[in-house]
Amino acid sequence: MYIKDLHLTNYRNYQDLQLSFADKVNVIIGENAQGKTNLMEAIYVLAFSKSYRTSRDKELVQWEQNYAKIKGTVFKRNQTFPMEMQFSTKGKIAKLNHMEQRRLSDYIGALNVVMFAPEDLHLVKGSPQIRRRFIDMEIGQIQPVYIYHLGQYQKIVKQRNHLLKNLQRRQTNDRTMLEVLTEQLIEHAAIIVEKRFVFLDLLRKWAIPIHQGISDDKERLTITYFSSIDVSETAEREKIKTSYQSAFMNNMDKEIERGSTLFGPHRDDLLFFVNDKDVQTYGSQGQQRTTALSLKLAEIELIKSEVGEYPILLLDDVLSELDHYRQSHLLHTIQGKVQTFVSTTSVSDIQHETIQQAELFEVKNGTIIR
Amino acid sequence: MYYPEPISKLIDSFTKLPGIGPKTAVRLAFFVLNMKEDDVLDFAKALVNAKRELSHCTTCGHITDQDPCAICQDESRNNTVICVVQDPKDVIAMEKMKEFNGRYHVLHGAISPMDGIGPEDINVPSLLTRLKDEEIEELILATNPNIEGEATAMYISRLVKPSGIRITRIAHGLPMGGDLEYADEVTLSKALEGRREL
Ligand SMILES: Nc1ncnc2c1ncn2[C@@H]1O[C@H](COP(=O)(O)OP(=O)(O)OP(=O)(O)O)[C@@H](O)[C@H]1O
Ligand SMILES: [Mg+2]
Ligand SMILES: [Zn+2]
Repeated sequence: MYIKDLHLTNYRNYQDLQLSFADKVNVIIGENAQGKTNLMEAIYVLAFSKSYRTSRDKELVQWEQNYAKIKGTVFKRNQTFPMEMQFSTKGKIAKLNHMEQRRLSDYIGALNVVMFAPEDLHLVKGSPQIRRRFIDMEIGQIQPVYIYHLGQYQKIVKQRNHLLKNLQRRQTNDRTMLEVLTEQLIEHAAIIVEKRFVFLDLLRKWAIPIHQGISDDKERLTITYFSSIDVSETAEREKIKTSYQSAFMNNMDKEIERGSTLFGPHRDDLLFFVNDKDVQTYGSQGQQRTTALSLKLAEIELIKSEVGEYPILLLDDVLSELDHYRQSHLLHTIQGKVQTFVSTTSVSDIQHETIQQAELFEVKNGTIIR
Repeated sequence: MYYPEPISKLIDSFTKLPGIGPKTAVRLAFFVLNMKEDDVLDFAKALVNAKRELSHCTTCGHITDQDPCAICQDESRNNTVICVVQDPKDVIAMEKMKEFNGRYHVLHGAISPMDGIGPEDINVPSLLTRLKDEEIEELILATNPNIEGEATAMYISRLVKPSGIRITRIAHGLPMGGDLEYADEVTLSKALEGRREL
């Protein structure tokens, strides 16, 4: 799949921009603060309906304007269709094929995007939240119904935390309602965790050999799911539910005392090991980078195998962060198959035939001058 | 821009209505100024009367101009089934369907701890009293198919279950996360057929 063209209106520092892209490599070149990341972000937002940089949609709207619009034409499965995201003070509107989609799970997944930005190098070292977001976004774009379950789940957690706080402060002592919310929570938690297990199996299938390749056969990557409850990764939904039931049953008083939900996928994490050593704690910076790169490359292949086509790859400022060896590994993987957007302040950072054959866009202060 | 006080008060009143922003409020206010005086008087009376003459039925909680309401007074209806809904609008939607002949109980909301709404803040206690006093055999829980509506149904079900009353929940054909009042009559009638035991 690829994006044929993009039309931005009042999006960040772009007032009105229309571009047509090459179906292979597109290089966005420009000095700092000219709009390279904004352009990449717009493609990401078109795919996921929200930014990875901010949770406040308002920031996407150009200062002094009251709405922002991203329109793109996507080519996928031999079909061309428009996608559109609009943000205003009234909220956001997602349109697929000219039709407004009321549920985001009906929108996300139409355009598949893998983003690799300097922040992603923290995937291994950073907080669990970053890894949870990684796994959630990736499952979501392959299986949009996951986003629906996740949304429901988050709402239940919020309700349940409020109730636990009320119980903690003795504003109520209605444990029946707590039982109800616990049952609701377990129902969705089990679906989410089961889907994460299935996804991790796929991820391993691709990431382990890729990591082995990049490390020249010297490193063996292991990925494990760290759960807040005692449950095996091979467990099926009913088994997962039973584990949650006993965790909640045995810890009800503790949860009330803390006023917060202590178990569930919102507390889980991913652990990475290289040659059986925890990369987060013991990995060198190089090993952490290799791991992050392996995961991203695995995502590309995983989407290809699940969706049937390669996703669009966004490489924002990241090539210069990778050494020559890792860089060529990355470029070799995508060559000729994946529509890729690369941003850089200078092409001399990147020495590879892929880049030489690329379409060049030079951005200056919110306009494309070349 | 400064409006004379009567207009700004009118604009302010319009903004209190749902879905009306400041711009629309101004448009409506100026429209009223150009209406015939009789029409404006009728309009104002209709507003006041709707509020004054309508109250909630002390039995079922539905909006009514007499107490008990027409549905509660109708002796041809089945006394053994109660359909529990969140909103008076849901009763009207069900009645349009003309397939349900039992009684109703309107909760006026759903349990939602994050909004500070507990079971006693909606018509759950009056439902429990009704179940004790009347001869009810079946309770149909037709709360909205979203998180709060589901939780409310589960909650009521847990409280009522020990009494042996049959409890069903309408399920099929309703969009999850949607509000019942948006469901068209066909899906609603399907939903009623496909109710499941809780
Ligand atoms: N809502 C907005 N309205 C107008 N301008 C904005 C908005 N949000 C961000 N900007 C501006 O966009 C400019 C470009 O930002 P961007 O992050 O795309 O730069 P960049 O080209 O990626 O730079 P770098 O090489 O430093 O990463 C910044 O100067 C910023 O002030
Ligand atoms: Mg940037
Ligand atoms: Zn009544």
